[in-house]
Amino acid sequence: MPAIKKAEPVIRKGRSGSAVNQDPDVWAKITGKAVYGTDLYFPGMLYGKILRSPHPHARIKRIDTAGAYAVPGVRSVLTAGDISNKSYGIVVEDEQPLAHNRARYIGDEVAAVAAVDEESASKALEAIKIEYEPLPAIFDPTEALLDEAVQIHNNCPGNIAWERDMERGEPERAFAGADLVVENEFSIPSVHPTYLEPIACVAVSDYMENLTIYTALQSPDVVREIIAEALELPLSKVRIIGPVMGGGFGGRVYGNLKLYLLSSLLSMHTGSSVKMRLTREEEFTVGRPMIAARMKVRMALRRDGTFLARESDIITDNGAYSAQAPWVSKTLSERNDSVYRIPNIKTRARLVYTNKVPTAQYRGYGNQAANFAYESLIDQAAQKLSLDPLHLRLKNCTRAGDVTVHGLDIKSCALSECLQKAAEKVGWNNRKEGCGYGISAGIHASGSLVANKDFRGASARAVLELDGRMTVYTGEQEYGQGAYGAFVQIAARTLGLEPQLLTIYCRDTLVTPYSQGALANRQTTIGGRAVQLAAEELKKLIEEAASEMTGEPVKMIGGSLAAVSGKLIRFDEVARYHHHRTSGLTLAGEGCYVPPPSKYDETSYGNISVTYSFAAHAAEVKVDRETGALTVHRIVAVHDSGHIVNPPGARGQIYGGVTQGLGFGCYEGYVFDRGKVANSSLADYRIPTALDVPRIDYHFIEINDPEGPFGAKGLGEVVQVPVPGAIANAVADATGVRVTNLPITAEKIYRTMFKGECDG
Amino acid sequence: MSYTVVSNLDQAVEALAKSEGKARVVAGATDLFLGNLPPELVDISTVPDLLGINRDPDYLSVGAGVTHARAAASPEIRLKAEALAEACREVGSPQVRNMGTLGGNVVNAAPAADAAVALVALGAKAVLVDLNGVYREAAVEDLYANYNLSVVDSSSEILLRFLLGPTVRGEGSAFLRFAPRGALSLPLVNAAARVRLKGNTIEAVRAVIAPVSPAPTRLSETEKLLLGSKPAQDTWRRVEYTAAAEVDVRGSMLRCSAEYRHHLIGVLARRMIRKALERALESKEGGDGR
Repeated sequence: MPAIKKAEPVIRKGRSGSAVNQDPDVWAKITGKAVYGTDLYFPGMLYGKILRSPHPHARIKRIDTAGAYAVPGVRSVLTAGDISNKSYGIVVEDEQPLAHNRARYIGDEVAAVAAVDEESASKALEAIKIEYEPLPAIFDPTEALLDEAVQIHNNCPGNIAWERDMERGEPERAFAGADLVVENEFSIPSVHPTYLEPIACVAVSDYMENLTIYTALQSPDVVREIIAEALELPLSKVRIIGPVMGGGFGGRVYGNLKLYLLSSLLSMHTGSSVKMRLTREEEFTVGRPMIAARMKVRMALRRDGTFLARESDIITDNGAYSAQAPWVSKTLSERNDSVYRIPNIKTRARLVYTNKVPTAQYRGYGNQAANFAYESLIDQAAQKLSLDPLHLRLKNCTRAGDVTVHGLDIKSCALSECLQKAAEKVGWNNRKEGCGYGISAGIHASGSLVANKDFRGASARAVLELDGRMTVYTGEQEYGQGAYGAFVQIAARTLGLEPQLLTIYCRDTLVTPYSQGALANRQTTIGGRAVQLAAEELKKLIEEAASEMTGEPVKMIGGSLAAVSGKLIRFDEVARYHHHRTSGLTLAGEGCYVPPPSKYDETSYGNISVTYSFAAHAAEVKVDRETGALTVHRIVAVHDSGHIVNPPGARGQIYGGVTQGLGFGCYEGYVFDRGKVANSSLADYRIPTALDVPRIDYHFIEINDPEGPFGAKGLGEVVQVPVPGAIANAVADATGVRVTNLPITAEKIYRTMFKGECDG
Repeated sequence: MSYTVVSNLDQAVEALAKSEGKARVVAGATDLFLGNLPPELVDISTVPDLLGINRDPDYLSVGAGVTHARAAASPEIRLKAEALAEACREVGSPQVRNMGTLGGNVVNAAPAADAAVALVALGAKAVLVDLNGVYREAAVEDLYANYNLSVVDSSSEILLRFLLGPTVRGEGSAFLRFAPRGALSLPLVNAAARVRLKGNTIEAVRAVIAPVSPAPTRLSETEKLLLGSKPAQDTWRRVEYTAAAEVDVRGSMLRCSAEYRHHLIGVLARRMIRKALERALESKEGGDGR
């Protein structure tokens, strides 16, 4: 009987008896008890604020901070001249903690202040005098590519941050011999992940020069390394502890490095803890949205519908600094080539600097943006060839055992089943009068083998506690996607225990195993596999210790420890025995899952992931033919994510991902007015409301994957990928015309129907 | 900042008089934090005089403190001022509808306010009282000084209620809006109409559109076209054309182009007038006294 009686969380039983709320965060969130970054408070804590450039491009001629120091309560004012200001970057080292000499977008960090409260910090910002000399600014990436364009970074002539020319097979020949060539141009705006919790952090620098940053991140171990290097601190002195994460959707893989670096610098300067948080407006104007893209694409087919070749010219808009945009551009420019068997590929992709908000990554990594373009083009081809878009896809889709055009090794794949099921469930052959129907197919990596070719896997630790319960230590991250629920399931199944006996310990870089983090659909597949191996190891250690203790062989079966004689042993007895015998050690099973290396080469040919998830979505829409108003009636989401380990979590991923895909397809997108974000509020940057979400039907084709734990594959990212394309194709089916730039709004549909505009 | 909650009209007048112009009346307060906060606020949301929905033989009286949620659910309003019920159902979100009041919707003077559009179409009059206890009546459309600026000075005048002539047999009203998403979104166009039939002839019509100017705007040319006519198939094309042509609109990079808004105004004007007309016909035939 507990010392204090209180209401117990109601544990509903899910499929196969699995408890629904094994995720430690869920109950805290539901009851409002979850502690987020913005809730943190430390004694003597200061508040940091950032002074930002009002110019899209300007030389910083002079900064006078005297007035700021005169504001009561101000403890520190930092400019580029006060710090070593080492360059850093995730792919390209093109950023510094504070703008030095030059500001490159509206919002560029020029000075940082710490004060006893936010009001004093704001007053101090107003008291800083800066003399700017405005420079010509570029907002359009195609203009940035012109010879006469002003150079945004000194060491980057031509403003190309990253580029790629790629050819597989013999595309020219394939185009020359094709029966049909279709082509079009598509554009996709920048989108923000729009997590509910704006990023917040507290940096605590102590007198021993330890730096602890409290902030919720998808990849805290990687961020820790970037911070240590940028601040020139020994890695062992830097620690990141995570509060509960209020959503991430890729935007919190590296979060807002500027915020972490500046709060750390202010804390190191003052010796006090320093809290900083972005406002919602800052999230839009200086947070990191995903790159915008323009895609000119061509496709060659044989008369019977066989895909022969595809050619793409892609320009992505980097904004002022790079972050992960090169990697996102890479995924955007090649991942969709592996959805179908396309033997010949030619792609030119260029990531271009502009004087706009810097970009980073978002759930789907650009895969959904390109999927919209390519899947639209496939429907164009189907129309020209008078073929059913479903049959055209079934004829060409990737299948298990394939090695795709880029060398992806497809070990398991139920894409054709997904396509058939999605069509069947949406009523592809049984259409409602006046509705439009569209289908789209997608692939996504499930754990990257090439982000770091030497570090491909994950590790975990499973510990038997003295009371007989067990704890799983993981460096992977939970942010609402259900990773920890899945880990508990995996460990419980491996150990044959009730999930309630297991606890997850997480979010502390000092204690938990190093992880690449929550990205690339890798949590359940890679992280989960490590948990499985750690649990297996713990099981072995428990059996050994118990055998030693009793002097007869002991086996762990069905959650119990039984000796050969039939005697049952309690877990806490074994834990104590080992604890005493070793003077304090606990039984700890360590598991590491190291996927086989990839032969990925310098042309980017080769396997990039442990395994791949597939999906086909079908949309049913209705268009008001007078106004262009679009109603999405239904999205049918059919997925091959292998065996589904955590069904309630998987369901949640479908609903959330499809809704975000709907936002991407029909509502969202940055609007710029001469470099300034014009829709920097949730009133003007429209995400779907509950009333806009259609009926979502889902279905899992459960074919066990040979690599994932219990046959599981990732789901979190692939679920957003086919949505915009499926809706776009359904709109085209309903109206007979095609909107080629996202988001597909009523006005754009109207203009394409009546004004013959494709890019209105 | 001071925040005074008053429980009757005398207290409200007293509190405003005492503040000598510094205080502002507040009720639902849903838009309060969007602007600069005034130094003093007088909360009139619980003043009983402002909360009634009453019907006498000539008028339906709706208190200025009635929330959108209450108005949308009120059987009186749904039966006798259907456009207003429809408009109130569409405002903001459930939270906003539960807090925001009809009086606030008008005095806040947002050019796209849904309830205000319906009130103007229904021909509502506002009843106001000043600090000397002097009452006055004004048509709702006359309460707008400019964009987001009301004629009503809420430091010295209180909007008490709206008086509507209830729709009678042979009359119908309707409200429509077109917005970029299902909730929490300003409309690109909102529109309301009230129509009275005599036989098959339109005997009276008020058609209102927003946001095209500071106040909900009567489509006077369209009304002229319809008045005394017996609507036939070709009427509707002319309604659409006339409505679209008779107002000036602006485009905005965040909402839509001027051209598209013109188009929407035409379509919505036709649709809402037709809907009002159908209801007028129904009420004539149904004989339910609408």
